[in-house]
Amino acid sequence: MMQIIFERAGGFMGRKVSLELNLADLPADQARTLKLLVDESNFINLTDPPPKDSAPDGFTYSITVKTETIRHTINASDTNLPDALRPLLDELVKRSRSH
Amino acid sequence: MSHRHSIFCILPPHMLDQVAQSGTPAQREMAARTLATSTQIRDKRVNLSAALTRGSIAAAGTAQRIVYDAKFGTNLPGVVARKEGDAPVADVAVNEAYDGSGATFDLFSVAFGRNSIDNNGMDLKSTVHYSKGYDNAFWDGQQMVYGDGDEDLSESERLFNRFTKSLDVIGHELTHGVTQYEANLVYKNQQGALNESISDIFGSLVKQYERNQTADAADWIIGEGLFTANVNGVGIRSMRAPGTAYNDPVLGKDPQPAHMKDYLTTSQDNGGVHINSGIINHAFYVTAIEIGGYAWAKAGQIWYKALTEKLNSNSNFQNAADLTFLTAGEIFGLGSLEQLAVKTGWTEVGITVDGTPIPPTEGDGCLKGLMKSLGFAR
Ligand SMILES: [Zn+2]
Repeated sequence: MMQIIFERAGGFMGRKVSLELNLADLPADQARTLKLLVDESNFINLTDPPPKDSAPDGFTYSITVKTETIRHTINASDTNLPDALRPLLDELVKRSRSH
Repeated sequence: MSHRHSIFCILPPHMLDQVAQSGTPAQREMAARTLATSTQIRDKRVNLSAALTRGSIAAAGTAQRIVYDAKFGTNLPGVVARKEGDAPVADVAVNEAYDGSGATFDLFSVAFGRNSIDNNGMDLKSTVHYSKGYDNAFWDGQQMVYGDGDEDLSESERLFNRFTKSLDVIGHELTHGVTQYEANLVYKNQQGALNESISDIFGSLVKQYERNQTADAADWIIGEGLFTANVNGVGIRSMRAPGTAYNDPVLGKDPQPAHMKDYLTTSQDNGGVHINSGIINHAFYVTAIEIGGYAWAKAGQIWYKALTEKLNSNSNFQNAADLTFLTAGEIFGLGSLEQLAVKTGWTEVGITVDGTPIPPTEGDGCLKGLMKSLGFAR
């Protein structure tokens, strides 16, 4: 079963926000949505975007997807995040900010 | 025949204290003079929008403000929402970005003679409504970018308001641009914390200038108004008392140190650039309070000159201390109250500046030299 580990760091406040999701523990529809977002981003085949000069106060993001056979991490920032990752990132950011 | 002494004399702290105490009337006079000078500067203050629409500062450059709307997407810059000379629009974030970048341009122009971000009339570009639920603002190397905070959450869950709400945040972001064109401090570790602090310093000065506040009347809060009522805190950072800006069940406690003994070594946040900046912020605050009057007039001037003429991309905290001390001596004289105030600021945060150099005049002892420079002796 899939696991997603998300971390957002930096920003104007310098405060880290993190999230760990075990899809098996989530309601089925939510797990399905997340799995779809991961698949549609073609996550497993993405590589880290080329580094850009760090934008002062911008966020940096780390997304890791784990299954029984695969563990893959993408590191990106506000200024170099691949478009394909945006829908997944939006979902993870929203979940990490809700409380 | 004049003979130059090659030895600087170092006054022990207790002697400096004594002089500072007996120097109260002179300090008062000095403060009065500072006040008068600052008032004159304020009188000369130009109304940026009026000046620009008239084109009267065209000789100094053609900086135009342009505010874009990203419409909750992430493509920059977005569509133009208001440009220089346009009347206010219905969107409050657009107007805040417009007015805030004007206030920042104003401070740099009037107090330091700087012509925009690059000192060459560069346009001031801002994008508002960036992304969804973006509780942040940043400088992307070319422009300012602002999110709307937690607009996508239910009201009871919201912690952050829109980031244009705080004028010092706008000043902070724009100052990152200034730093980029000047010292260009590496955004990592001590260099990065220094970069951050310079943005907080001038961000706070923009707010103080706008409110016409002297150092002792200012709140020295960075990010005032960013938190919703759900958060227990007055802002993101406090330059007066780093580590006390917020203490909240969800956000945790303000982690900023105010002293080198609490310097945080971490790999997060580019080496804690938003954490350790508290040390420099507090040194600046102490210096500004010691000098008195409007903080931009003297403390700000010292730091502006250090930023544009002395600091480089690799400058660390000690370099900043030594170079601001040197700069204060150049502007206000060796052993001047202003220079001693810079030293006091650094001492307060646990950074020792090399001794106070007083160039002794022929036949004068160290104390006499200092008394002279303070105006007590001839
Ligand atoms: Zn910053």
